[in-house]
Amino acid sequence: MSEKPEHFIIDGKRLDGRSRDELRPIKIELSPLDRADGSCYLEWGRNKVMAAVYGPRELHPRHRQNMTGAVVQCRYNMASFSVDERIRPGPSRRSVEISKVIRQAFEHVVFTKFFPKTAIDIYIEVLRADAGTRTAGINAASLALADAGIPMRGLVSACAVGKVDGEIVLDLMKEEDNFGEADVPIAMTADNRITLLQMDGRMTTEEFYTALELAKTGCTTVYELQRQALIEKYGDEYRAEGGSDE
Amino acid sequence: MERKIVVPGDVVSDNVKMSGSGTYIRGDEVCASVYGLVNAGVRYVSVIPLSGKYIPQANDRVIGIIIETTHSNWIVDINSPYDGLLHVSQYPRRIELEDMKKYLKVGDCVLVLVKEVDAAMKVELTMRDKELRRLTDGRITTIGPTKMPRVIGRSGSMIRLLKSMIGCGMFVGQNGRVWISGSGNRIDLAIQAIRYIEANAHTPGLTDRVQAFLKAKEKTMQSRMHESRDNEEW
Amino acid sequence: MSSGDNTVMAEVQRDHLFNLVLKGERADGRAFDEFREITIETRAIDTADGSAMVTLGDTRLLVGIKVQPGEPFPDTPDKGVIIVNIELIPLASPDYEAGPPREGAIEIARVVDRGIRESESIDLTKLCITEGEKVWIIFVDIHVLNNGGNIIDAASMGAIAALLTTTIPAARHDLGEDTPLPVRDIPLAVTTIEFGGEMMLDPSLDEEKIASTSLIVATNTDGSISGMQKTGAEPLTIDQVMRVVGMAQTAASEIRKKFMEV
Repeated sequence: MSEKPEHFIIDGKRLDGRSRDELRPIKIELSPLDRADGSCYLEWGRNKVMAAVYGPRELHPRHRQNMTGAVVQCRYNMASFSVDERIRPGPSRRSVEISKVIRQAFEHVVFTKFFPKTAIDIYIEVLRADAGTRTAGINAASLALADAGIPMRGLVSACAVGKVDGEIVLDLMKEEDNFGEADVPIAMTADNRITLLQMDGRMTTEEFYTALELAKTGCTTVYELQRQALIEKYGDEYRAEGGSDE
Repeated sequence: MERKIVVPGDVVSDNVKMSGSGTYIRGDEVCASVYGLVNAGVRYVSVIPLSGKYIPQANDRVIGIIIETTHSNWIVDINSPYDGLLHVSQYPRRIELEDMKKYLKVGDCVLVLVKEVDAAMKVELTMRDKELRRLTDGRITTIGPTKMPRVIGRSGSMIRLLKSMIGCGMFVGQNGRVWISGSGNRIDLAIQAIRYIEANAHTPGLTDRVQAFLKAKEKTMQSRMHESRDNEEW
Repeated sequence: MSSGDNTVMAEVQRDHLFNLVLKGERADGRAFDEFREITIETRAIDTADGSAMVTLGDTRLLVGIKVQPGEPFPDTPDKGVIIVNIELIPLASPDYEAGPPREGAIEIARVVDRGIRESESIDLTKLCITEGEKVWIIFVDIHVLNNGGNIIDAASMGAIAALLTTTIPAARHDLGEDTPLPVRDIPLAVTTIEFGGEMMLDPSLDEEKIASTSLIVATNTDGSISGMQKTGAEPLTIDQVMRVVGMAQTAASEIRKKFMEV
């Protein structure tokens, strides 16, 4: 693991050249997997994540079925080769906790009531991890849910904010995440209702408020990219019409 | 008519009385609940989803596959999160319980009617209506249930076109399964046409383009036949 | 090999596939000895010491290699270790469930493992650091992303492609300079299914489901065989087995050409 840098912000620029309120580049590919009901591949900086949604589908075992609506389930998993030190395959305490908070980031948003007794399964696979895999996973999962035709109040968009060198910054990179003073992953809907909030580190109340505001602008930017990806999926095909018939 | 694509949460109307399927009311606005195409009618605005599962409703005609035989029911996969139950008394003729496997066995395809769906999503099927039966020949293909209406077309225009131009039998189940009967290459062509409809289900003027698609296909098939005949003469 | 698809196939679909075989055809128009399109993208994951993303038709998987120092096995104190693991994660198929690997996954991993190990394409003695104490352990992790049938051949291609691009990260462990992992051969496992008396390569998902039996044969550049596995309950005749070996050799040498591009 790398050493702690002396400074995270030099002349207003961060270690990777970004400004304080700038996101790393995001690339989105919709429906790459044909077995899943909905899927999305997303790159965010050096993160590479794949999300798939199956459902609504029959839920087993039967005693877990809910007569009044679908049960949302989530499994966040890191590929063993996604980080420097190999991870043993299978769930860890960390992945179980992250799976739970991601599930709850979507439970409010999905209209479960239409599908009693079923499961809606969200699978997130981190193929290459940098900082912010859970937020990358949420953004991909949100698109996979839409792609699967699941009714929702709206898309969920996520990003992290944090504190380094005493300053509040958007979308932590790895060094900032490892050695910074605070890391706050946040997910919210387009109308700014927060569905995931965690914090690791220390901040004053004022700093936290500033961080929330910054997260809001970050999530808005992410939302625009998500929305654009969905619109363009069919837009491109539509424009391609009129050429060859096949 | 070109229809607008919306994502969940997009506002589709500011009149809450207009809230139709695929939408919900948030404050004093109507929002899309699914990723789909806006269908703005006079009284309602709805969103037609681009994908999603088949959820059974009474009176739907569906194509099922028998997946299990129990004491007095056949359990039927109807391409849905909910399996259907076909009770032995809903078979077109009276049969004894011990003879159930003689009439319908695992893997058999059936054309059935959804008789009733209760609040617990228990789906009861019947074969006691005209045309309902076991499908012993032909082939089954599947199209997304949300795209299925385009294979039927407005008041059946598309399916009529497909049947007459291709020269095959066809039944489109509400659950997205399509049964096609006829000779092998007719079925192949019909499946190609359905794949074409599936890929272009979100676009307008589909009937005309399917017609052009089929004409072009027939042409290449005929020229290939001529070629092979020419070769034979050599 | 059945990688676990539990849905019931409609009888008419089964009949259709069977009738096609009688005419010498397959549902997707391929010849019996024809593979679907193969793409191999190496160095797909930079946190891995070697990696490859493979697509075989609709099947898609990612192989990542991690090389770490560790203890040798007591009976081979001067040899490195290869551990092949496959994750049939529930993201990849409606039929895969979360949890520890089941017999299907373990079988695939072991067959791929034997194909590589027995080919001696990797000289394990070169992976010894201190005899009896420290050797390089090579973890080959196969992450299936979409099961479109014939996971095993795709996994076999992915494993060797990833190994070919693997660096031994000696510098990271203060054990000298990084060196490329020496790979001497390209062993490839090829699955042949038997259906309606005919032999077919690279089964699709549907074909896998209806196959009564299958035979996996791993072969090397010189045509030698370095691993076999018959799966499924139906027996095969000696003639059939020999035919399958020939088919696997021919197919593997075709696929090996792909690796020249890697």
